[in-house]
Amino acid sequence: MSNSTLERREFLKLGGAAVVTSVAAGCATAVAAKPPAAPAPVAAALDPPKTAPPAPAALKPEPAKPDPVAAPTGPPTRRLGRTGIEVPLVSMGVMNADNPNLVRAALDGGIVLFDTAHGYQDGRNEEMLGTILPKRPRESFVICTKVYVDTLDRKTGRFGPKTRGEEITQKLDISLKRLGLDHVDILHLHAQSAREGVLHQKLLRALEKAKQDGKTRFLGVSTHKHEPEVLRAAVEGKLYDVVLTAYNFKQDHHLEVQKAMGEAAAAGLGILAMKTQAGVFWDKAKRKPIDMKAALRWALRDPNVHTAIPGFTTFEQLQDDLLVMRDPALSPADSEKLRGPKLAGLFCQGCEECLGSCAYDLPIPDLMRGYMYGHAYKNREAAQSLLAALDLPRAVCGDCDTCPVVCAKGFDVRERIRDIARLRDVPREFLT
Amino acid sequence: MTAVLVFALLAASPDEAAFKLPGRIDGWKLAGAPAKYTPETLYDYIDGGAEAFLQFDFQELTAATYVNAKKVEIRADIYRHRDPARAFGIYSQERRPGSTKMPGKLEGVASADHLEFVAGAYYVKLALLDGGPAAILPKLAKKIAARLPGPRDLPAVLGCFPDEGKLPRAEKLSARDFLGHAFLHDAAAVPYEIAGARFRLFAVEGKDAADVRGMVEAWRKVGKLPAAEVGPEGAGTIKDPLNGEVSIAWRGRWLWGAVDDPSPRRQALVEELGRKLRRQ
Repeated sequence: MSNSTLERREFLKLGGAAVVTSVAAGCATAVAAKPPAAPAPVAAALDPPKTAPPAPAALKPEPAKPDPVAAPTGPPTRRLGRTGIEVPLVSMGVMNADNPNLVRAALDGGIVLFDTAHGYQDGRNEEMLGTILPKRPRESFVICTKVYVDTLDRKTGRFGPKTRGEEITQKLDISLKRLGLDHVDILHLHAQSAREGVLHQKLLRALEKAKQDGKTRFLGVSTHKHEPEVLRAAVEGKLYDVVLTAYNFKQDHHLEVQKAMGEAAAAGLGILAMKTQAGVFWDKAKRKPIDMKAALRWALRDPNVHTAIPGFTTFEQLQDDLLVMRDPALSPADSEKLRGPKLAGLFCQGCEECLGSCAYDLPIPDLMRGYMYGHAYKNREAAQSLLAALDLPRAVCGDCDTCPVVCAKGFDVRERIRDIARLRDVPREFLT
Repeated sequence: MTAVLVFALLAASPDEAAFKLPGRIDGWKLAGAPAKYTPETLYDYIDGGAEAFLQFDFQELTAATYVNAKKVEIRADIYRHRDPARAFGIYSQERRPGSTKMPGKLEGVASADHLEFVAGAYYVKLALLDGGPAAILPKLAKKIAARLPGPRDLPAVLGCFPDEGKLPRAEKLSARDFLGHAFLHDAAAVPYEIAGARFRLFAVEGKDAADVRGMVEAWRKVGKLPAAEVGPEGAGTIKDPLNGEVSIAWRGRWLWGAVDDPSPRRQALVEELGRKLRRQ
């Protein structure tokens, strides 16, 4: 496959038009413009930036701005906070990719920043990257990895008494070996959800040592729960350079996340956004896909999102992401796509408009309530008790070819009833 | 014979899904009730790593901790997937190629402080924390495996790959997006090394013959081959712009071939693979 580079570029042109050659050249320039690779002294890294962006009061679609450093035809870039790294607005979440050719195509297409983790595919993800990255000029890519500390209680976000900083050191050393590199650009403390976790002293010391030892240039923390708290704790900790946060248009609390991202960016932190595609589908049955380009553009309209790391596993998805990288402005048509189908999450409002429409006269509002208990509240016992009290026929929603019930909130009633009714057969002891 | 790789088996019934973990083993005991995670909550346990499991139709995780008198812990994670092929799929994605096989008959790999195995629709991961005696892991694995319900068959398609040059314990199943193409799903790929050439043989199982013809048509389009009617069986070469030159053949619900380095033996092995697949 060594002679396939040109063909690969031709392929990318199918979707990326003239992106490939100009983007690749532009990004190489942009990355080379970052500070020297030697680890920055901690004190220097703590200096707040002089041009910190303000928190957005109200977000408006941001027009694509040409990057002053990159070549004129390169994609727009943003500076990743105090790291000084200029990156295109779209990066790659490598997590689910197991095809090295896809990563090569992403690099050739102009993607610069790659996000992986010590634990992804039990290490195979880093190893896959290790077959590619060491063969590329070190200044042509930015690699981020994350270390999860096993003593983390995910429910509370706090670390247990056996927490050791050495775990970070050991796992990072393994990650570097897998990646075939002597340092990563960003090392994240993985999956934080509480201030106490972000500011755990032993772990902070271990992270700082990793930076001092030159094993990472910058430090970060990743979060997909209680993001505002984590963002603010990262500012408070003063050690962190970046935060990788979940952020998407479907988050109920996205305004809070926006505000906290603004505060963090103003304090000089770089902001990477993940989960920008909001679960990929509108519905649980995965029949109604979200428009990925629109969802990505929605996240990128916040100037405090310096880059997003959508995960992709096909070349077609890569082409879409490269298009957004070149043209990140959210259009009215994109906004319309994000209004989505008439769906309203997990919560039945009890309007009872569905009553009487089921051929078997099932108590639909009660069943929707059971679904809400089981899936929204995660209280399967309550859901099972409710089901037992409803005196349902043995087989529910198995006989009808079409379901005449129309839910005012757009629920797929039959699918939800089938789903929740299965709980009746689950022994109680397995419901925890 | 219907291959286990057919990804259309019914979900395990509650009875098939029910099992009870051993409470004690050799001085170790279960520390509290195991936690349960569903597809909706798996992110709470393994963050973004959940996506790979969901891709293989993850159904439920039982996460338990065993502890001994010295407070050393073993983390036991028992993932139930929709069927054995999917459990093997996530195991194959996480397994390091060439890993040391675990002792006994189970399909699994072991290191000093980790052990992973598949048993039917279950993928089990054991991790010894804080450096305890590694000998406990195979024992615990055996005891857990004995309590897991359902058949133990490995995906039958794996038996179709020729032995010559096959790298050990490196097969991979992909539920979707094989070789980075959205139109290629339910694929098995096995790496080979013969006389310095490294290549992969693969077998993709379509839902039916029409599904396979659709895959071939889509692939031809990617390879910029002129439009042509794709018959029920055939063979050829596609210049895949991203994956290089790919030899393919198809018949019925199977599409198979080879990718990566050329080798004088590669085509012969593709043909052998095809003969075995046709008997499936």
